Amino acid sequence: MPVLAFCFFLAGCAGPQLAQIREQMGTAPSRVELKGVPLFPQEAQQCGAAALAMVLQWSGLPTTPEALVPEVYSPALKGSLQPAIVGAARRSGRVAYPISGTKALLQEVAAGHPVIVLVNLGLSWYPKWHYAVVTGYDLSEGFVVLHSGKIEPEYLPFRVFQNTWARSHRWGLLVLGPGDPPVTAGETAYLAAVLGLEKARRWHEAVKGYQTALQQWPGSLPALMGLGNSFYALRELPRAANAFQEAARFHPASGAAFNNLAQVLWEEGRREKALAAAQKAVALGGPLADTYRKTLKEIQSGTP
Amino acid sequence: MMKTMTKPVSFFLILCLLSMGFALGRAQAAMVGTETVLNSKVQQTERARVNAFLERPRVQAILEAQGISPAEARARIACLSDSEVAGLAATVDQLPAGGSAVGALIGAGVLIFIVLLITDLLGLTHVFPFVYHSR
Repeated sequence: MPVLAFCFFLAGCAGPQLAQIREQMGTAPSRVELKGVPLFPQEAQQCGAAALAMVLQWSGLPTTPEALVPEVYSPALKGSLQPAIVGAARRSGRVAYPISGTKALLQEVAAGHPVIVLVNLGLSWYPKWHYAVVTGYDLSEGFVVLHSGKIEPEYLPFRVFQNTWARSHRWGLLVLGPGDPPVTAGETAYLAAVLGLEKARRWHEAVKGYQTALQQWPGSLPALMGLGNSFYALRELPRAANAFQEAARFHPASGAAFNNLAQVLWEEGRREKALAAAQKAVALGGPLADTYRKTLKEIQSGTP
Repeated sequence: MMKTMTKPVSFFLILCLLSMGFALGRAQAAMVGTETVLNSKVQQTERARVNAFLERPRVQAILEAQGISPAEARARIACLSDSEVAGLAATVDQLPAGGSAVGALIGAGVLIFIVLLITDLLGLTHVFPFVYHSR
């Protein structure tokens, strides 16, 4: 009898949840199944590499799970850590954008983006951690479509998926080309994801990512600074100068914008303008004032 | 002879020094990184930044202990931001250490099988492919 009561309790939990999601999703299509996401049957312990390979290939990058194993797998853990998946996506020149929660997941899938999810198929004290790719859902029937290491897509009841996903605090990961922003993107979170491309020294993709961000958030200071810094790393000085000039124009109180502009102008040999920008940065001051003074001193003291 | 050599040599030296100065100028370029600008936006404290800097070698050592080569461990950390390294440092020790817990539970295998079978039937877990889930 207690077991039966427990079952009813669960049914009571799962039912409204789906209705709630239906309401939240508003006008979004109630059924989506993405095409073009390959299915890689999964080797033992290699679900991380398989899931990443599926989304990378979907994003237009030919790869295999085997090729990704050295970048994601931790032998002693017999699995892959989330930061390793994030890093490997960046090293492939893709924006790795973490999402959290059911609404964001379904919105991204509805927008055509497959999402890597981390689920615990077992229990908290007997975990069976697993990466899968969500490629579709059906809100009226109540299931999600998963590419989960089998030869066929898996149609998992929404309630089972929710139970297994909740144990990772509903962690999901988008792996997108730098010209394809997430529909749920927030400015700071998206720029942090593009910054990851800088960290992985994928400068061309970083440039594209910052340009994408600027379309969505025109005049964003971190996006303009990132654009300038990425062009600077590519030694494309005129373009770097343009970006920093824009940053200084939109944010006349940003010493960092004037500082970097001064450095680039100086290296271009435009000493007078460099000097003016460096003096402006020093005058603005702030927590990075030491850096600004150093730039000014270098420009005053000699040739680049 | 000596005198005729001096000019080209000093010219050569000047060129060397100039190019050195150029190289130095580049190496010391006092550019403000994107991360600094972005972080000041999310108001990350200086302390957190220093912590992340100190955490990098520690996290690298942990990854190496997981059987990853030093070069690969370095590469994996290099493409993470400071806040991501800090996050990893905070959780990497608490991750389920596959093996020990499982070993201790093998004796109780039948019990666990039954528990997981029930939770699978209830839709709480999804361990056994042969369990049918109603929608």
